[in-house]
Amino acid sequence: MLVWDNHCRPANRVCILRTFMLENFAKSISDSSLTQWIQTEYWLWPVLEIVHFFGLTLLIGGLIIIDLRMLGFFRNINLQSTHKLIPFVMMGFSLNLATGVLFFFGDPMRYAINIGFQLKMILIIIAGLNAACYHISIDNLAQKAGANDSSLLLPRLIASISLSSWFGVLLLGRLIPYVGTG
Amino acid sequence: MFVWIENTALALWVSTSLWAYPFLLSLHILGLAVVAGIFLLRDLHLIGLIGALPPSNFFDLRGLAYAGFTLNAISGFLLFSSQASILVGNISFLLKISFLSIAMALAVSIHKQIDKGGNITQPKISAFISLTCWFGTITAGRLIAYVF
Repeated sequence: MLVWDNHCRPANRVCILRTFMLENFAKSISDSSLTQWIQTEYWLWPVLEIVHFFGLTLLIGGLIIIDLRMLGFFRNINLQSTHKLIPFVMMGFSLNLATGVLFFFGDPMRYAINIGFQLKMILIIIAGLNAACYHISIDNLAQKAGANDSSLLLPRLIASISLSSWFGVLLLGRLIPYVGTG
Repeated sequence: MFVWIENTALALWVSTSLWAYPFLLSLHILGLAVVAGIFLLRDLHLIGLIGALPPSNFFDLRGLAYAGFTLNAISGFLLFSSQASILVGNISFLLKISFLSIAMALAVSIHKQIDKGGNITQPKISAFISLTCWFGTITAGRLIAYVF
């Protein structure tokens, strides 16, 4: 069943796809017991927000250090030692994925049609693919070169994409309550 | 005095402009990620949770963290100015400022201790208190919207 979004022009294919997938999914979960539970427990939403903020601090704080070092700043810091921050970044991401899913379940229709949320999800996918590239290519490059050389172009490109996409995620997330739908 | 702050041209701009408030909130969360992110990881590092590294390892980042703090002090003051007289009576806001003041005072003291070198135990205790204060700052800050 195609759910039509009045804000979308019919000619806009991406818009149709987006609306079709997200809004249908949101409708299908809007009567779930999880949604009802989140909506009835008045204390839950602020607690989720606090955890979400704490998670973003770990996630983005860690990435700022790792990415800026990869870009060639703070050369006194050992490049290998910044990799020890990755578990904390992953912990931050896991916390935010879990709380984020609960936010969506708590108010599915509001998020599904929010342009800030939709763009935020796209940027998270880009950031995720970028991180995957990092793991695949950096490992290979490091083995070939025998050591991590921060002057390589590819690590710098990956670090720039990572920083800019996560800052975008941060800003779009904060603006969700203020931007329009569709 | 707080009513006077609310009626300054700047505060009125924040409260009446359509985009000023969300714009300042965006800057505020950007600064939060920088200052709280760096100091939180510094604390975890000093406590010993990030593997065996020299204590000074992430200390070059302090300048960036202070820049984040400055951004948040400015954006925070502007956000505050738009509803100053209400916020001074908000327990959550007052707790946030208290936690933040302790965390920033500890940041200065921790950096002094590390610069001197020597005993690592004292920064460890400070780092633990600092970590708690940053968590308190984020928690109380987020709750400002829920406590009246």
